[in-house]
Amino acid sequence: MNACRPTLNAAELEAIEARFALRVCAELNASSGVLPHDFSERLRFARQRAVESGKQAATSIAQPQFQGELLTSLGQVGRHGSASNSWWKFASVLPLVVLIAGMALVRHFDEVERINAAAEVDAALLSDDLPPEAYTDPGFAEFLSSNQPHTAVN
Amino acid sequence: MASEKELNDFLQGVESRAFKRTAYAVRDEEAALDIVQDAMIRLAQSYMDRPAAEWPMLFQRILSNATLDWFRRQKVRNAVMQNFSDLESRADDADIGDILETLLPADRVSTESASDLVSRAQILLVIEEELTKLPARQREAFLLRYWEELDVAETAAAMGCSDGSVKTHCSRAVHALAKALKAKGIEL
Repeated sequence: MNACRPTLNAAELEAIEARFALRVCAELNASSGVLPHDFSERLRFARQRAVESGKQAATSIAQPQFQGELLTSLGQVGRHGSASNSWWKFASVLPLVVLIAGMALVRHFDEVERINAAAEVDAALLSDDLPPEAYTDPGFAEFLSSNQPHTAVN
Repeated sequence: MASEKELNDFLQGVESRAFKRTAYAVRDEEAALDIVQDAMIRLAQSYMDRPAAEWPMLFQRILSNATLDWFRRQKVRNAVMQNFSDLESRADDADIGDILETLLPADRVSTESASDLVSRAQILLVIEEELTKLPARQREAFLLRYWEELDVAETAAAMGCSDGSVKTHCSRAVHALAKALKAKGIEL
């Protein structure tokens, strides 16, 4: 009997395969709608959860867009639309600018004070009768510290 | 943008088959339920703004990926073995006569019809059993192509392979199922 069967081309073979597959799937379809009650309920719950999460995701995407549009519209309201935006931008960075400027100013004054103090010491050394090298002598430094009350009285 | 009702109706239409298909793959109904739920949520969160006509292919792709993720998490060894057997299997397309014997409806007097041999419920059990025995890619291609009624291009997109691969997987799956059912005396 096999020798009597006609030869098949690829399309015919594919059609035969498809028909068989559809017959198999017809049997599957008979069972796909029949699930245990608890599984049906759990699938229903999962479906509702999915739809709810999709709605929340869509809402969260819409909110930033809405806020952006709201800010834009607020910026446009008023007589000085673009100027107001610039003022608000400047006001937001002003504290930072003030802080940096203050720190720079303090550092400058501190530097000046240190320079002045060093200058006073140098002036005192240079104008004194004793040579500067005397002040590096440990014995002379000890003499100065022990005789200091006397020098103050004199 | 599609409405919630459209999404709900679509998911209601596919949830049973999706659950069954996943159950065939993972052989664990509880896990299949979790995977289907995960796929539904992914579709709703990421693709609700897409046209409803794209949802079938997208959902099947998401479901396949979710199933793969499950296997990776579980590190199921037989998934790898199924993939290896998929590489080894060959279609009997060299022998047309043998193919026709298995695929065509029986018209020989000597073969008893299915209703004479087993009940319809038993036929279904056998079909489901044989489906679970198929290599994963063959089963996936078969179910997407013929049960979910996606065309070849949509099936390829859902599986992440070429059209030719889909046709090859489908053909091998059909032949394997036909041989297995015939061996058990079932002819559809």
